Amino acid sequence: MSCFLELKDVSKSYKIEKDELSVLNDININVCKGELLTIVGPSGCGKSTLLALLAGFLEPDTGNIIKDGQSLTGPDVDRIMIFQNFEQLFPWKTVLANVVFPLKAKKIGDSMRERIDIAQKCLRKVQLEEFINYYPHQLSGGMKQRVALARALVATPEILLMDEPFGSLDSQTRDLLQDMLLKIWQEQDITIVFVTHDIREAIVLSDRIIVIDKETGSIKKIINNKLTRPRNRLGEEFSNLYQQIYELL
Amino acid sequence: MMDNKYLQKMIWFFLLAAAWELIALSGWFSPLIFPSVETILRTLYSSIISGELLQQVIFSLSLISQGLIISLLLAFIMSLLSLTSNTIAGLIDTLVAMAHPLPGIALMPLVLIWFGAGRSAIIIIIVHSVIWPLVLNLITGFRSIPQIYRLVGKNYGLNTVEIMWNIMAPASLPYFLAGFKIGWARAWRALISAEMLFGAAGSFGGLGWYIFKKRVFFDIPGVFAGIVVIIIIGVLVEDLIFDKIEKMTVKKWGMQT
Repeated sequence: MSCFLELKDVSKSYKIEKDELSVLNDININVCKGELLTIVGPSGCGKSTLLALLAGFLEPDTGNIIKDGQSLTGPDVDRIMIFQNFEQLFPWKTVLANVVFPLKAKKIGDSMRERIDIAQKCLRKVQLEEFINYYPHQLSGGMKQRVALARALVATPEILLMDEPFGSLDSQTRDLLQDMLLKIWQEQDITIVFVTHDIREAIVLSDRIIVIDKETGSIKKIINNKLTRPRNRLGEEFSNLYQQIYELL
Repeated sequence: MMDNKYLQKMIWFFLLAAAWELIALSGWFSPLIFPSVETILRTLYSSIISGELLQQVIFSLSLISQGLIISLLLAFIMSLLSLTSNTIAGLIDTLVAMAHPLPGIALMPLVLIWFGAGRSAIIIIIVHSVIWPLVLNLITGFRSIPQIYRLVGKNYGLNTVEIMWNIMAPASLPYFLAGFKIGWARAWRALISAEMLFGAAGSFGGLGWYIFKKRVFFDIPGVFAGIVVIIIIGVLVEDLIFDKIEKMTVKKWGMQT
């Protein structure tokens, strides 16, 4: 298995006044190119911290994060984070302008016209082409997360880091967005690390599921998810896997 | 019933003017101290035609613009500095706490002695009136920008200057506008009182001086004409300029605080 992204003996703790709170302990993960990896664990287990480390927003106390043989330092557009918080869009920009923003920042496209074309193509993928002139406050939560997804995709990152992006949505919308994400992932060569506390979501999406233990802040188990795609959320194998992970948490 | 707030305002305005006119016509008060609407309008008209009032208005507006520009620059520098270090933030917080509740008019005697009774003295009073609410709002605005905007900016590879210009500036705009509105209102008041106290520099003294002069000559319709102009300018700035800017920006973006 070729190793694309590697976490080597990564530990992270926070200082809260004088106490040291250890959140992640000796984490070793290999992520393959094009893989969809989910990380599950109860809230407060450090899974969001893990993503922040991958994004470069935080630095590990010990250990290394290596991509393509290079140690990572700081945030960059090769790894784009999508947050749970709906406020990640800029309220003063329209849907289209939000999606054009990374293109301007990265200086992709020669003219404004070309950038708008690229942005519109991405907005079509998330089925928002009719809402390009709306402002974020006029959109529903699910639509906002789709804009965030389109904004991430235009930047053509190698890795998408998703921090419970569908966690605040109702279950129907969540199912729809999971299917949309899968479709996009299958169409283009992108690696996704997806954090969630929703076991069903982890099973529907992932190639592998990493279960993190809250007590120790270390990996409890890595599960290869071999269910055939598209996955039936009501099937028996699905329930069995659910049961298996549920007992781990 | 009346959706249009402008229409409603107009109707009330005409009702109030009619009530005024009735009192004036009733003869309860001497027309010398309670002139009719008609007399006020005629005085206003002749003052405008003679060019005197217009020149005073231009004088006042030019002073307040200078004061506002200086205040904006200083307020931006101070609030940006207060973001850079906690020591400076402490100093600026202390300055704001001391100076914000201090009315400009209380400083006038001192300013008169230190700087004389000229344009610069009036501008100093304006700057004092505007800068503290502006600094207060700008600092609050910068501090209340959600962390997530900055993370997104960093994630897409913006540097510090780009984050300031592309993210911090629009994200703090609602606070800036709120502060600027308070600042404008305070500056307008300060300006009129300062002009009355400091008098004319050369032949012009602004609207405040105009009213003061009219009172000296017991030209009460003239005093009212000045007051009417002050009200009109205040309403125009508030309802046209600020309302327009808000509708084009923070209201459209759903960011109104």
